Amino acid sequence: MSTPSMPRSTKVMARLYVVAVLAFLFAPLVVVVLFSFHSAPRMSFPFEGFSLRWYDQVLHDQLVIDAMRRSAIAAVLTGLMTAVLGLTASLALVGARTRVRATTMVAAMVPLTFPTLLYAIGLAITYHFFGIGYSLRATIAGHVIVALPFVFLIIGASLDRFRFSLLEAAFDLGASPWLAFRKVTLPLILPAVLGATVLAMALSADEFVVAFFTAGQEKTLPLLLYARINQGLDPSLNAIGTILLVATTSLAWVSAARTSKENQ
Amino acid sequence: MRISTRAVQLSPAAAYYIALFLIPLLLLAAYSFYSVESFEPVAKLTFHNYVEAATSDIYRGFYLRTLRVALVVAVLVTAISFPFAFVLNYLLPGRKHLLYFLVLVSLFGGYIVRVYAWRNIMGREGVINQTLIGTGVIDSPMTLFLNSEWAVVVALVNYLIPFGVLPIYAAMQNVPPTQIEAAQDLGGSRWRAATKVVLPLTSKGCVAAFAVSFIATSAEWVTPQLLGGTGDQLIGNQIQHQFGGGLNWPLGAALALTMVVLVVLLLSAAYLVIRRWLR
Repeated sequence: MSTPSMPRSTKVMARLYVVAVLAFLFAPLVVVVLFSFHSAPRMSFPFEGFSLRWYDQVLHDQLVIDAMRRSAIAAVLTGLMTAVLGLTASLALVGARTRVRATTMVAAMVPLTFPTLLYAIGLAITYHFFGIGYSLRATIAGHVIVALPFVFLIIGASLDRFRFSLLEAAFDLGASPWLAFRKVTLPLILPAVLGATVLAMALSADEFVVAFFTAGQEKTLPLLLYARINQGLDPSLNAIGTILLVATTSLAWVSAARTSKENQ
Repeated sequence: MRISTRAVQLSPAAAYYIALFLIPLLLLAAYSFYSVESFEPVAKLTFHNYVEAATSDIYRGFYLRTLRVALVVAVLVTAISFPFAFVLNYLLPGRKHLLYFLVLVSLFGGYIVRVYAWRNIMGREGVINQTLIGTGVIDSPMTLFLNSEWAVVVALVNYLIPFGVLPIYAAMQNVPPTQIEAAQDLGGSRWRAATKVVLPLTSKGCVAAFAVSFIATSAEWVTPQLLGGTGDQLIGNQIQHQFGGGLNWPLGAALALTMVVLVVLLLSAAYLVIRRWLR
C-alpha cells in the first residue's frame, strides 16, 4: 500500500473523511469555547465580537469558585492515590511471570466492563449501608476506581517493553534490591506512572456519574454545570464549560504526550 | 520469599479494589433482593423487584428502546471508526501520530460539556435555530432537533467515536503491511484489501469498539435527560429516578442488573454470530 500507487482521488476522499470526522468530534467543543468569548448574550452567528464578560461573571461567582476548588482537590488526590497504588502494584509485576502479569492486568480491567452508572449506584448503596455520608471524599474514593484500570493499562504497556536484562545486570554487578529499584526500575517505569497519574487527574476532573451519586452537597464543577443546565441555558455556562474543558484536555494532552513519547 | 514480597506489593491495590469495587457490586446485588418499607430499603429478601423489572409493560418499553438506541449507536460508532482508523493507519501514515493524538485527547475531554454543547446547538434558542432566524432562512425556531431520539443518538455517537477508534487502531498496529501489499499484488482492490484482509484481522478491535459503545449507551441517562423528549428516555433514566425522586433503591438495583444481564446475553450472542460470519 505504497503512496505513489494510490490514485489522487482516493487520497482526497480519505483526507476529506478524516477532516469530516474530526470536525464532528470537535464541533460541540468549538461552539462552547467560541461563544464563551461572545460579547452578546445570544448564542448564534453572525458573531458580534469578543469579550471576557462571561469569565468575569463566572470568576466572581462563589459557587463556581468552590466547585473549581473541589474539582482541583479531587483531581490531585485521585492522581496521588492512583500513583501510589499503581506504582506499588507495578513493582510486583516487574519480573513476574507473563501469566501472573496477564491475570493481574485482566483483573485490574474489570471495572471498565461495567457501566459507570452501575458502579455509581453500588458505591452510593455502600456508603449508605456503612453509614458514611456523601461528600467530596466519598467521590474521590470512587474516582480512584474509575481511573485505576487506565493507570494499569499504561503501566502495563510500559512493563511489556521493560528490559529485564538491565535489572539482571544490576544484580550481577552486586546492586542491592533497593539500589536496583532506585537506579534501574524506577527511572524506567516513572514516565509511565507520571503519565498515568496525569490521566487519572483528567478522568477525575471530567467524571460526572460517580460524583452525581456520591458527592452530596459538595458539588464538583461538572455537577455545578449540570445543575445550571437544568436551570436554563445561560451564556456564562459556556465559560464554565470552557474552563472545565481546558483543565481536562490539557491534562489529557500532557499525559498522551508523555506516554506516546515513551512509546517511540 | 520473592512471592511474599510480591503479594505485599500487590496488596494495597488489591485491597482497594475489594473494598471500593467488589463490595459495592456485591451490595448492589444484595440490595436488588431487598424490600422497601416506608421508603427505606429493608433486608427482607424478595424476588419482587426482578419480577417487576421483567414483567412490567413500562419497563419492557424502556428496555426495548434502550437496546434499540444502543444498537444504532454501536453500529454507527463502529462504522465510522473503522474507516477512520483505516485511513489514519494506511493512507495517511505521515500524519497518523498527530491525528491519533487528537482523538486520544478528545476521549478525555468534556462528557457533560459535550451534552451541554449539543443542547446549545440544537435547542429552540440554540445555535442552529438562532443562526437560521438571524439570517432570515426561517421565521420561527424549528423544534425537530432537540428532544428527539436523533439528538440523543448524534450526541452519543459524537462522545463515543474516540472509544471506537482506539481499539480498532490498536488492532491495526498488529496487522503487518506486507499482508495488505500481498492482497493487492494478487490483484485485489484497496476496498477488497480493507474488507477481506484488514477487517478479519482487526475483528477483535471492532468487537471491542461495538461492545464499549453498546455498554456505555445501555446505562446512559444524562444524554437522554438533557437531549431527548419525554418519549426518548432510556432505562438509565428509570434507574436514576429510583435512586432520586422514586426512592426505591432495591427496584433501581434490580433494573440495573437486569440491564447488565440483557447486554451480556445479547453481546455474547452477537459475538458468536459475527465470529461464524467472519470465518
